[in-house]
Amino acid sequence: MLLNRASSGGRWRVRPDGPGKVTGGLAYLTDMTTDQMLYGLVLRSEHPHARILSIHTDKAKKLPGVRAILTYMDIPGLNAFGIAHPDQPVLCEERARYVGDALATVAADTLAAAQQALELIEVDYEVLEVVDDPERALLPGAPQLHPGGNELHRTVFSRGNVDQGFRDCAYIVEETYYTPRQMHTYMETEGGLFVPGEDGRLTVYSPTQHGFMDRMQLSRILAKPQEEIRIVSSPIGGSFGGKDELNVQPYGALLAMQTGRPIKIHNSRWESVRAGLKRHPMKITMKTGIDAAGKLMAHQVSIISDTGPYSTLGAEVLNFATEHVIGPYQYEHLDVKGVSVFTNNGMSGEFRGFGGNQAIFALEGQMDRLAEMAGMDPWVFRKLNMRQSDDLGPFDQPIAMTDGAKQVWEAIAKCPLWMEKQQLARMSHSGDEPWIKTGIGAAFTMHGAGLGVGIPDPAGGRLALAADGKIEAVFGYEEFGQGLLASLEQMLMEQFGFGAKDIRMIIGDTDVVPDSGSTTASRATAMMWKSLQKLKAPFSGQLLQRAAAILNRRVEQLRLAEGGIKGRSEEALLLSYKELAAAAGEPIRCETSFSFPTSSTERVGAHYMYTYSAVVVKVEVNTLTGRARVLQQYHVVAAGPVINPQGYLGQIEGGSSMALGFTLLEESIMEKGHYITRNLDSYLVPTIEDQRGLVEVEAIEQLPEGDDYGPRGIGEVGSVTLAPAIAAAIRQASGKWATKLPVEPSFLQETPFFLGKG
Amino acid sequence: MSEEAVKSETPYVLRCFVNGKEESIHTTPAARLLTIVRDELSLTGTKRSCEIGRCGACMVLIDGNAVNSCLTMAYQCSEKQITTIEGLAVQGMDPIQQAFLEEGGFQCGYCTPGMIISVKALLDENPDPTDDEISEALSGNICRCTGYGGIWRAVKRAAEGRRQTT
Amino acid sequence: MGMNIQEAMASPLVWHPQTAAEAWQLKQTYGTEGIYTSGGTLLRTQWESGISAIPRHLIDLSTIRGLNDLRIGEAGLVVGGQTSLQSCRSNTLLSRHFPMVSEAIRTIAAPSVRHLATIGGNVASSIGDSIAALLGYDAEVIWFDGTTENRTLLSEWLPEASAAKRGNERLLLSMLLPFEISLEETSVKHDDKDLTMQMKRFGAYHKIGRREAFTPSVVTACMNGVLTHNSVIKQIRIALGGGQTVPVRLEKLEKEINGAAVDGHLLRHVYERIIELFEPREDLFASAAYRKSTAANLIVAELWKAAKGETKPL
Repeated sequence: MLLNRASSGGRWRVRPDGPGKVTGGLAYLTDMTTDQMLYGLVLRSEHPHARILSIHTDKAKKLPGVRAILTYMDIPGLNAFGIAHPDQPVLCEERARYVGDALATVAADTLAAAQQALELIEVDYEVLEVVDDPERALLPGAPQLHPGGNELHRTVFSRGNVDQGFRDCAYIVEETYYTPRQMHTYMETEGGLFVPGEDGRLTVYSPTQHGFMDRMQLSRILAKPQEEIRIVSSPIGGSFGGKDELNVQPYGALLAMQTGRPIKIHNSRWESVRAGLKRHPMKITMKTGIDAAGKLMAHQVSIISDTGPYSTLGAEVLNFATEHVIGPYQYEHLDVKGVSVFTNNGMSGEFRGFGGNQAIFALEGQMDRLAEMAGMDPWVFRKLNMRQSDDLGPFDQPIAMTDGAKQVWEAIAKCPLWMEKQQLARMSHSGDEPWIKTGIGAAFTMHGAGLGVGIPDPAGGRLALAADGKIEAVFGYEEFGQGLLASLEQMLMEQFGFGAKDIRMIIGDTDVVPDSGSTTASRATAMMWKSLQKLKAPFSGQLLQRAAAILNRRVEQLRLAEGGIKGRSEEALLLSYKELAAAAGEPIRCETSFSFPTSSTERVGAHYMYTYSAVVVKVEVNTLTGRARVLQQYHVVAAGPVINPQGYLGQIEGGSSMALGFTLLEESIMEKGHYITRNLDSYLVPTIEDQRGLVEVEAIEQLPEGDDYGPRGIGEVGSVTLAPAIAAAIRQASGKWATKLPVEPSFLQETPFFLGKG
Repeated sequence: MSEEAVKSETPYVLRCFVNGKEESIHTTPAARLLTIVRDELSLTGTKRSCEIGRCGACMVLIDGNAVNSCLTMAYQCSEKQITTIEGLAVQGMDPIQQAFLEEGGFQCGYCTPGMIISVKALLDENPDPTDDEISEALSGNICRCTGYGGIWRAVKRAAEGRRQTT
Repeated sequence: MGMNIQEAMASPLVWHPQTAAEAWQLKQTYGTEGIYTSGGTLLRTQWESGISAIPRHLIDLSTIRGLNDLRIGEAGLVVGGQTSLQSCRSNTLLSRHFPMVSEAIRTIAAPSVRHLATIGGNVASSIGDSIAALLGYDAEVIWFDGTTENRTLLSEWLPEASAAKRGNERLLLSMLLPFEISLEETSVKHDDKDLTMQMKRFGAYHKIGRREAFTPSVVTACMNGVLTHNSVIKQIRIALGGGQTVPVRLEKLEKEINGAAVDGHLLRHVYERIIELFEPREDLFASAAYRKSTAANLIVAELWKAAKGETKPL
């Protein structure tokens, strides 16, 4: 089904959080202020790598209006954070490893006083050699950034014998691919309000993708029981993975506890760029061979990932990339190696696609090159080598079986844009502007959802009939724009029969919600769906039984409906939810908790549930300037039932726009560990003019009979296949293979044909 | 004072109209309108993001024109009519806001007030814009979530709505 | 916390002179502590990024009388320096007679910034993206030196104004765009058989940036000329700029090709000479080599197009 307003009919709904967003009435957490509030700022390292000899705060402390200046000595608990492995100092003691490293934090009556105080803090540095290249970081003699050296993590996966495999190949492609340090560029920079209570508790109003993880991490830093910390974390002005890790929270929390006053922090864009996460730049080298019939014989991969100064999720991203450089194809012999390397560059971390973007750009590039070498249609070539529905996953692990690969392949094969590819005459010198050349390309993926084997991946939620008669749906997930609330509301309406006005959704508040796990890895909608499936029978049953008793009818005669209880085949309302709630009896409340389904393998990070997707894209290259423009996109996604059509469409459109930026525009440029692109005047994301082309999304909903995993994730797949598809289209247009992203205009530029050779 | 330059007095009182209401705001002549709107008037629908006029999250109308409030200084607003997103929905929601709701022209919503302000300025001046005109008018508003698909649809729907009512 | 750090630290006095002489006097009084400002968009960006400090005194040029509109003068269209870029963009006189200037302004920032920013500020920065187009029309500037108003060719004014931070000693007031002499007046009266004397005006402005809209320029290129029916160049101006490069006219090249017929040999010559003569500044986003070849490609492609269109009917 082509997803749009017309095809969705009544299922195309106005989002519940919409009115507040279009009127400006919705207060984001960085909009909040309160009486007695102080302003917090953070002093960050001047150097990407330096020994800290001393920090003197005496002068700064004497400044009028300054209420607190904290350094490493003032941290009551663990001076470190990091979701997977806490190795990032909250406030550095003796060494700074990147320009975002924090040395001190200040609270003052005014922002001006706080800023002046930062300038009065005296830091003596001994500048150290900067490690800005992950390959050089691995050489003997390179400065070591951590006690364990410069290797954060290594991955290996092999099968058969690639050397043997390559001997049997008719064609071999060897290529190295480079991907950029992409910035999330959420429009709302990090920040929030940190309010100490009279009862000794601390309330943190600050965006995150996993409130309970923040609570645990802050508890460690503050040496304060988790129960004494409340995290309120939605709404969020964009995240894309970038706000999953702690950012300003440790400083706000420490200052609030120290001063007893509310602290407001809101990063400037430059502060956000300097301290925040980026996508891991990767260098991926592949050697892939096929036999004379086009069958993949051997695939050898080496990944080097620049993880920056600290761990956060660098190891997990590498695991994901390692799985996705294998992807949906079948090989006789496999040899994959990866290494994630510490450097003094910017922090790399979680970002929509999670290592898949880099891996799929390289893998699909290999498939297109091999097909061309063998003289085959690139889509037919993929079909020849693609997994069958009952094949094992990339790590030879059992996975939830679907026909997704085949379904997506077929939908692309027959879509008009793909068929147009054959008609495009390559290198035609006709028309008024013959230097403009057009090409069409496509790429495919299977993208894993959930955190994978070996990482706790809790899920769950709660339904209750509140005293005021509202149906309360309570989940520990976050709304950062993806439309989580809209999806939840729509499921409650469609699966239970409630009306929108009957429902109250509560998310993003650790005092109230159960730990449903992180809102990440394309998992939240699937986990809410599964929770509601589990809650449906008990919760509906309790509501109907209570109603039956009041109404003196049999349960089977009743049903849940908009506004209250109705008869099975009657339209009249028999009992409102308010009346039901008012009736005496035990509170009606059902809770479920379970884990995201995982594969029965030992392989850490291996996935069980996958979304299959592909995109065809039409690109125009102006060879006078070397600039490429995306003209049209056709996406096919097989992810099970469409829960919310508007949200689904928006996720693919939005994800692909990020991918367009990744492919053609975006790169955080660093020089010797310093950011050159400090704001949106030099770091350029797509504008509306870059997004003028038609984007269509076809959703394939069919799942195998008996599949009870429900909807697969769609939050990331829109952003992972566009880069290789654009590269393939550029190849058809200009005859050049792009290996480095973003594609350099100078690489695609040509001297006009009418000037002749030379 | 014809032969001598006038100096903006400090402390400076900015007199202007915000969402139709006359205001006298004690500030400095070079203070940014963004600060005045958010901190002095507590109108937080106008968002802070890049602060150098490159994203449009802080867009307001000054005498009907869309302008970045982060670039505008207090003295440049003297006696001007300033409209923030809060001033758009006077009798119920503006049809532009309604169109954004119905077409899904937003996700996280942080760019949305500024985006809607720019659409308002565009359609007030040009009720039937071409794609080129829409693109030019919105080229200063960055949206990171939607990929602009829903925004294209919302603007066209809003324009269509205007054509039908006029 | 809408307040940014720079403004928390400093709040300059703002002066509103009503004449150029008053503005000049203020600048003399405050020296480096006083800065001329028009729309202030470039200044605000520099303050926010820390490139320059907020000065003690701002000298607001927007209140100088008579500088914020476009009017037809004796020598051409006078564009007041305090006219906002957006007013220029929507001005029909400008778009009718000087379409490449309109086009150049369309590609500058976004309308919201253009409502504040002025054409004078764009030119006074000496790297604004309107400049190449203004050079393409042989624009002049009217400026004040403390005593009198002066008229200078923009192409001569730019190197002076951009040199060694002396910019503020020349207060830019207006731009003057001379109307092009219409082709009927230059070409000899002809009858239908005498096609060879027919002339055609051709021109183009291109800005190449790093994305499709609201982008810093990498290259700006403008060409404006007249071709005879058999593709002989009768008049030509070529102006190039972009990024941090102060735009220039390639007058040497113009002289070399004036009077020559556009053919493969000439196009190759133009290409090679642009590579030699144009000296763009490079940065981490684009090399000088890319800027040169882009400028050369754009100019030769436009020449090729003009000549191709002209020879088609024959």
